[in-house]
Amino acid sequence: MLAAFSVAVLVFLCFPIPIVVAMSFSSARSLEFPPPGLSLQWYVMLRDSPVWLNALGLSAGLAVTSATLALILGSLAAYGLVRGNFPGKGLVESNLMAPLIVPPVIIALSLYIVLARSGLLGTLTGLLAGHTLLSLPYVVLFLSVAIRAFDIRIEHVAETLGASRRVVLTHVLLPNLWPNALIAWLFAFLVSFDEVVLALFIGGRHVTVPKRIFTELTLQISPVITAVATVLIVMNAVVLVLLAVLARKRGAVAAAGLTP
Amino acid sequence: MTPGPDRVAGRAPSARFRVLAARGLLVLPAVAFLLFFLDLPLGVTLWWSLRDPDTGGLTAGNYADFVNSKTYVTIILRTAMLAGSVTVMTALIGYPLAYWMLRLSPRAQAVVFALIVMTFWVPILVRTYAWIVIFGNAGLVNRMLLWSGLTDSPMAFLYNVRGVAFGMVNVMLPLMVLPLFAGMRRIDSRLMTAAETLGATSGQVFRKVFLPLSLPPLAASSILVFILSLGFYITPAILGGGRVPMIANMMDLLVNRFARWEIASVNAIVLLVATLLVYGIYQWLRRS
Repeated sequence: MLAAFSVAVLVFLCFPIPIVVAMSFSSARSLEFPPPGLSLQWYVMLRDSPVWLNALGLSAGLAVTSATLALILGSLAAYGLVRGNFPGKGLVESNLMAPLIVPPVIIALSLYIVLARSGLLGTLTGLLAGHTLLSLPYVVLFLSVAIRAFDIRIEHVAETLGASRRVVLTHVLLPNLWPNALIAWLFAFLVSFDEVVLALFIGGRHVTVPKRIFTELTLQISPVITAVATVLIVMNAVVLVLLAVLARKRGAVAAAGLTP
Repeated sequence: MTPGPDRVAGRAPSARFRVLAARGLLVLPAVAFLLFFLDLPLGVTLWWSLRDPDTGGLTAGNYADFVNSKTYVTIILRTAMLAGSVTVMTALIGYPLAYWMLRLSPRAQAVVFALIVMTFWVPILVRTYAWIVIFGNAGLVNRMLLWSGLTDSPMAFLYNVRGVAFGMVNVMLPLMVLPLFAGMRRIDSRLMTAAETLGATSGQVFRKVFLPLSLPPLAASSILVFILSLGFYITPAILGGGRVPMIANMMDLLVNRFARWEIASVNAIVLLVATLLVYGIYQWLRRS
């Protein structure tokens, strides 16, 4: 009975996704199930729609830039937190983690107020800052775990043998930590790509993919969204598999996706 | 040759501290970024919540308006109720699922685990959209019902509190199950074996040994789900059809429709304080 119940719960959890994917290949003009036939019409429509292509381009650009920015800020901070010892360390740590706890809508509202006053509202700069802010804690989280697990004595040995700080970085730290950095980057990429609330509040006329989906959903339900959703599902799945491969390689951070 | 400041090993404690502190400087860029894009905005929001819209001076009037307004109180209560019921429901269906996973073969366990992680990573927007495809007024179920002649008009599965709760449970379930499963796995299975050897029935083993040990991870996951549910925006906006606003949706309306900054800031501060309070309880539980 436990098994039957659990399988039912699993079905409840998962079945919406294959249905969306199936509908995206439907040849019907509207949502009809079962689909009367197979067709790529919604993908063709997606490919020929400048509105969706612009949104995809913007989202991809934002995700790449904000993930990179978050990786730079976050990796430095993670190293400083793990290896450094300074007054106020606990405070800095909780400040770095705060964007995970504070509801996104509060971050969006408060950024709206400040960006409006500094003339950055509706600009790419403002959007980029917001996305970086939301992915920063993930980067710090993943890299702190990795740096903590990396034996500090190895760094000491290199230093004692006369390696400069730069050599320690390029010959000791980077070769060992790059898979973790890549994991953190991919995570930040997904976080940015899926962000809705920020885009709604501070995006102005810049429309990301999730914002486009959201506004289309509240207007009318076009089956093109099933195609967009499928593209997103595939993208997330690919990144997830990449994460799993990387995590297995490192033997660490296997819990990728566990920490929200 | 003078040793570089990097050479921590073998240095005097004060020199070592200096190097450690120097490494701490690496946090500065991130801290500056946070100060400007997180702390300052939150501070300004707090200030706006205390600002008189007409004179610009300090006032508690916005909070008074907030407390005396039926609309805001209703929405706050609804948010708390919805977050609470979503938490209870995910716990009720998530606990058996995690317990079942625990007793699977390692291979089956890995498959189920991967399935749940996969779902977790499908964007919330897409998962919420899926419910419209299935249960919406023009969705699959209604089409089938109309086609089969069981009803002559579409049934309203969504666009009410039940629909929102349903969608939120679906979104939150992985966040309940995954940490709960991890917590259950840490329970020493020898304790259950020992109880069995001493003659306990399997029901007794579960009630007297396993259940009490699994309560702390259950509490931790529940609080996590509750916190995240409090700030939910997407699901109530889409599945509520504008009829079931939660506090986040209210803030959106206040800012983007009515430009009522002060009262939106009050909403934000109330939600922030509630979130931090619950988070404090969570940390306290984790420590004890």
